[in-house]
Amino acid sequence: MKKYFLVAKNTWDEMLTYRLNFTMWRLRGIISLVSIYFLWLAVIPNNGSVFGYNRSLILTYILGSSLVNSIIVSSRSYIIGDEINQGNLSNFLIRPINYLMYWFAKDLGDKAMNILFSIFELLILFLILRPPFFLQTNISYLIPFFISIFLALFLNFFFNLLLGFIGFWSPEVWAPRFIFFMIESFLAGAYFPLDILPKPIFAVFQLLPFGYSLYFPLKVYLGQLSLTQIYFGLLISIVWVFGLLLIAQFVWTKGLKVYTAWGK
Amino acid sequence: MSVISVSNLSKYYQVHEKEPGLLGSVKSLFYRRYYDVKAVDDISFEVEEGELVGFIGPNGAGKTTTLKCLSGLLYPTNGKVSVLGFTPYKREYKFLKQISLVMGQKNQLWWDLPAIDSFILNKEIYDIEDKQFNQTLEDLSLLLDIKDILQIQVKKLSLGQRMKCELIAALIHTPKVLFLDEPTIGLDVVMQKKLRDFIKQYNQKYKATILLTSHYMRDVEQLCKRIIVIDKGKILYDGLLSDIVKRYSRYKLLSVELSEQVDRKDLEKLGEIKEYNFPTVTISVVREKSSNIAAKLLENFPVEDINIEDPQIEDIIRRVFSTKANI
Repeated sequence: MKKYFLVAKNTWDEMLTYRLNFTMWRLRGIISLVSIYFLWLAVIPNNGSVFGYNRSLILTYILGSSLVNSIIVSSRSYIIGDEINQGNLSNFLIRPINYLMYWFAKDLGDKAMNILFSIFELLILFLILRPPFFLQTNISYLIPFFISIFLALFLNFFFNLLLGFIGFWSPEVWAPRFIFFMIESFLAGAYFPLDILPKPIFAVFQLLPFGYSLYFPLKVYLGQLSLTQIYFGLLISIVWVFGLLLIAQFVWTKGLKVYTAWGK
Repeated sequence: MSVISVSNLSKYYQVHEKEPGLLGSVKSLFYRRYYDVKAVDDISFEVEEGELVGFIGPNGAGKTTTLKCLSGLLYPTNGKVSVLGFTPYKREYKFLKQISLVMGQKNQLWWDLPAIDSFILNKEIYDIEDKQFNQTLEDLSLLLDIKDILQIQVKKLSLGQRMKCELIAALIHTPKVLFLDEPTIGLDVVMQKKLRDFIKQYNQKYKATILLTSHYMRDVEQLCKRIIVIDKGKILYDGLLSDIVKRYSRYKLLSVELSEQVDRKDLEKLGEIKEYNFPTVTISVVREKSSNIAAKLLENFPVEDINIEDPQIEDIIRRVFSTKANI
């Protein structure tokens, strides 16, 4: 296990060598967060509500989705597709290391750093803007909230992995990825809470894995789901995590058979 | 038992052809004709422990593909491969811990970090104990003479330095079997020599079995007793380097320094004159008679100096490729 810890640690060191890059990356996050925040602040009147969400709930949803996003997004493993295409994968195949674990460790290293900064930034924003933020204190919501985030992290990793594996069969890995993430952000509820959609559509979305990466954890946090709904949601997440794991492993073994180690 | 055993190995790649130009590209979007390229076509050979074997062949001959099959990167299309008793493509950790593949154009070092960080990571990946790790690192960096650059970011190193670090990263677990694919590519003459010396020393010190491909005949000439010549996926020659010289060059070259002008006709009786440029004459003579003729020369002609040489190894290899005779 120590090797994967070292991979995560090296990733930290690597990030720190590009300080400007990292600062800009964080700044970009803050700017987009602040602009969305003010947009919603303007849209909803002080005591009004939209789609059954009052001001403090929708603001919590928006700010919360930014934080949750920084936890679950696989910020490193998107390179996998290129690595396969350029034949860099070879460097891993000849060493006794699990390629998938390697990238998971890199993602975690990257995340640890980003989460740390996210919390720090949100605290500052909080003190300056004093938003009407909804603070969940009930432990029976907080525990499932953290579990759901943990599961969401795996869901996203597997999405990313599978998109990268396209590289085994085609050099064009970026176009599918781009479209996928456009659709995924929508299906995950990054733009608005999913339950404002018509009921039948929402019912279908509940069976797909995407909503469980953003919408579901946030709903749990806001305390708007019943215990049955929470357990049901967690169950579906778990099923998807294992399902995607099996699919990823299957595709990986298939891919290795056609892997040609191009690029010399 | 041999360390490496390959029997009837074949590896085909499926590629699709594309007509040139934009129209061709559009066509290939909808309709692609696939065909097989036989990168390696039914080859067999064995390598014993501690051998240092050179793989020779032009670009696209199948050298790299063979190495990739041996190190478990590729699934063979046909045939059986066994290295250290393992089936490479199963990629068992026990197997991977005992081999290494160095590709001159691929790097495994972390670009933004000092090389030492990559070594330490490999220490964990290969489960190397502290004591052994330090010892090997000490030995290797001494052999390659790079102790002072281990703390510098890899991206700031020169190509030669980086190549050395890549080698250390690939050898830190002291593999028993080593595959080297163009290890000296892009290096200057001095570095090439250093690297060659290093490979030789590593082979002797760790009793490692080494398979090496190279475009530079010098590499092979100075390192390998045995060579395997491969072209278009087939083995053309497998045997001692000295034998290929005997077999493919039935002639030797006598280069003579004369002290006085001599009638060309007198010399022509001895053999074919390749070059006559007073005071130097180069005469090609039948191999078996070379020492006889040299004696005659010394007796009957005003000779200052005489040298008996084999033709350039490049010429011999070229002859192997042009005759295409299977031996």
